[in-house]
Amino acid sequence: MYKLLLSWRYLKTRFIALASIVSVTLGVATLIVVNSVMAGFVDQMKNRLHGILSDVEISTQMFSEIPHPERHVEIIKQTLGDQIQEATCVVRTPALLSFDVRGRQWTQQIMLLGIDDETFGKVTDFEPYLTNEIKRKSFSFDLEEDGYDQEKFKGDAGWKYRRTRIEIQRRIEANSREYDSLYENAANAFYNSEPSHVETASYENASVQEEQGSRFAPLPATLPDIPPAGNPAEEDINPQTSATANVDVPQENQLPEPGTVHRISPFDPHAKFRPEINPEDLFDPMKDHRTGIILGLAISERKVELPSGELQDAYLIRPGDDANIMLTTIGESPKPVIENCTVVDFYSSNMHEYDSSFAFLPLSELQQLRGMIDPMTGQGSVSTIQIKLKEGADLDAVRDQLIAQFPPNYFPDYDIRTWQDTQRPLLSAVKMELTILNILLFLIIAVAGFGILATFYMIVVEKTKDIGILKALGAPSRGVMSIFLGYGMSLGTVGTGVGIVIGLLFVQYINEIADTVAVLTGQEVFDPTIYYFSEIPTVINPITIFWVAIGAIAIAVLASVLPALRAARLHPVEALRYE
Amino acid sequence: MSDVAPSNPLRIDPESKADPMSTAELNPSKRLSKNIKSAPLRIADTSVMSVSGLFKSYGKGTVQVPVLKGVDLEIEEGGFTAIIGQSGSGKSTLLHLLGTLDAPDSGEIYFRDQRIDNLSPRQQEHLRNREFGLIFQFYHLLPELTTLENVLIPRMVQDGFFRYLKNKRAYRKRAIELLEMVGLGHRLTHKPSQLSGGEMQRTAIARSLISDPSILLADEPTGNLDSENGAEVMETLTALRKHENLTVVMVTHDDQLAAQADRVIHLVNGVVAA
Repeated sequence: MYKLLLSWRYLKTRFIALASIVSVTLGVATLIVVNSVMAGFVDQMKNRLHGILSDVEISTQMFSEIPHPERHVEIIKQTLGDQIQEATCVVRTPALLSFDVRGRQWTQQIMLLGIDDETFGKVTDFEPYLTNEIKRKSFSFDLEEDGYDQEKFKGDAGWKYRRTRIEIQRRIEANSREYDSLYENAANAFYNSEPSHVETASYENASVQEEQGSRFAPLPATLPDIPPAGNPAEEDINPQTSATANVDVPQENQLPEPGTVHRISPFDPHAKFRPEINPEDLFDPMKDHRTGIILGLAISERKVELPSGELQDAYLIRPGDDANIMLTTIGESPKPVIENCTVVDFYSSNMHEYDSSFAFLPLSELQQLRGMIDPMTGQGSVSTIQIKLKEGADLDAVRDQLIAQFPPNYFPDYDIRTWQDTQRPLLSAVKMELTILNILLFLIIAVAGFGILATFYMIVVEKTKDIGILKALGAPSRGVMSIFLGYGMSLGTVGTGVGIVIGLLFVQYINEIADTVAVLTGQEVFDPTIYYFSEIPTVINPITIFWVAIGAIAIAVLASVLPALRAARLHPVEALRYE
Repeated sequence: MSDVAPSNPLRIDPESKADPMSTAELNPSKRLSKNIKSAPLRIADTSVMSVSGLFKSYGKGTVQVPVLKGVDLEIEEGGFTAIIGQSGSGKSTLLHLLGTLDAPDSGEIYFRDQRIDNLSPRQQEHLRNREFGLIFQFYHLLPELTTLENVLIPRMVQDGFFRYLKNKRAYRKRAIELLEMVGLGHRLTHKPSQLSGGEMQRTAIARSLISDPSILLADEPTGNLDSENGAEVMETLTALRKHENLTVVMVTHDDQLAAQADRVIHLVNGVVAA
């Protein structure tokens, strides 16, 4: 009883000891904040990684293939029984993406995924990350009329944008054609009106004319003021050029082409072999689009901070624009293939690694392009099979089951991994970071422990006489010791308790605090352009808090052991004599 | 270790504290009367404490300063013994040895025919807590506690947490009674720093009596007080001695104070003068 009473009285009367545990409080608060924020980051990151990567995947090297994917899926489903929820086949290949930016080619490397639009969304979190709200609800590779993020694109996306853009392009082309035809008319007029002049011109005449001061005939009044790039008369006898022009006619039939008539040469040897082209069958970019492709948002998006501090989004390419993809076929002699695609949407998982490289095509389209379809059976092969497991399934166990089903000595080309295996370097780096931070912060509390030790030692010296009195009155050494241990523990508990409260409040209002700090210092604490999180994510883990509290109290108690031992060992007579 | 079983500190006084939970324990006045009644049964002569051949020297290493050089004495049950001597004659040391606060170099101390100087620390703590009431020259109150709490400290030391809570009411009643007896009934919640020297010493007297000890060991109780306060304290002590029928051993250098005692022992240069 006296132990409690005295511990309590010492706690109440010795505020210097309370000061010594401020560092415990701060240490505990910092530990809680750091752990919560780190856990928040890890949690968000894991969620996203997990969502993108699917639980388990069987993959092969990018230029190899897994044949008969349907059979594989069947076997996988048999092996895993009711642990499996869904499996999907994916073709994954590196490719080059190139498109027009201000009239110049922008080319960059991408990771192209051929996905099955039926099952892919069930295996990974694909649809929620699309920017188009219609696609999020019912997915397709078609360009949408509407539903694109108004805030991002300000309406410049989708069909309307595509039509406007093509219309503008056509007008520009029409203008330049008009210019060309004007020039041609003028040139024809010049050559056709006075054919004798050219034919009869002789060197003798020329020399006469030279002497007269004029080498050339006078120019017609309608000649444009820009000189011709080549001899227009030559075009008439070039069958290749006229053929191209001819094909172009129906495509551009909405526009007047006055010059075309003159280009058809009566002597064109290929004219009769040229197939009849029905203008209705031709691709109309106003109504049709090429194969739909979904690009990672960061491929196109450029977040730029204006001098005013405002963030502005800029886009290299928008939904509705066309782009070329270049990739190689698989097989013995890979050949390059180019396919014209239309961007139909963006994919924004907020994981920069993926957003800046992923592009999605329909599975069958990519199989076709890469020559992965068996010409005999018509079956396509894939490069990856992604599997989603039911809630609560053991990832590692499933992986081991699959490895047993596809033993490495028979399937040396198969790589069977869980999403955690794939992201192990990142996850373990984060874990390591957290461990080191925790050790460092516990060292801070340990430093506080030495502060407590020193303070307590002074208190024991100050209380020497009281200790002597207690011993004279029959208090055992153990009891005297426990007064100081109890004192240390109550100080540690108070410090830790306050620290936990401060830490939790800090975590609760961390975004408000970050904003306030940003206002006060003029420096952004949490830059959303870097982290792709709109606010600081936090996760409070009660077990972490429990261990932090236990650790901090233990340090406080340990620090009071030495002073308490000294108190216990005091000789009563000497202690009483102490003044 | 003579015939005392080290595991049983209660054996020193088998009757009075065999059952601490009994009602007799809770009612101090009853227990006290029982104690007095039982006294003649145990001890043939009237000696409650006896000392023989006590040697004690202080110092470190080779330089040893002898303080007690063979002290023999006996203290009678119910008597008021004064030990008187010059400063440095070893009287305080003798009292500390009697109170088991220190151990003699050689010699034997008996309390109720039990040798106590070589008991285990546990048993000595028990003795100090229950059988001896200690009063010091510098009062030695705990500055963080109130008067009442200071008086209750020996009881707190004696009982565990729950037993103390259980007995708290009786203890408090007795503590207030004692404080009223020493004339401090109105200063229960004052801290020692708010009390005068005489009041502090009277509080210390009340504290020494809370456990109903068999013997009161006072080390110059008035040494730090002016004559008026000293007289007051002595009056209190004498009155209590009669009221509670206590055995008192008092160390002093004041001949006048010693004159109030039944018996005076002169200590000169570490031996009892004839």
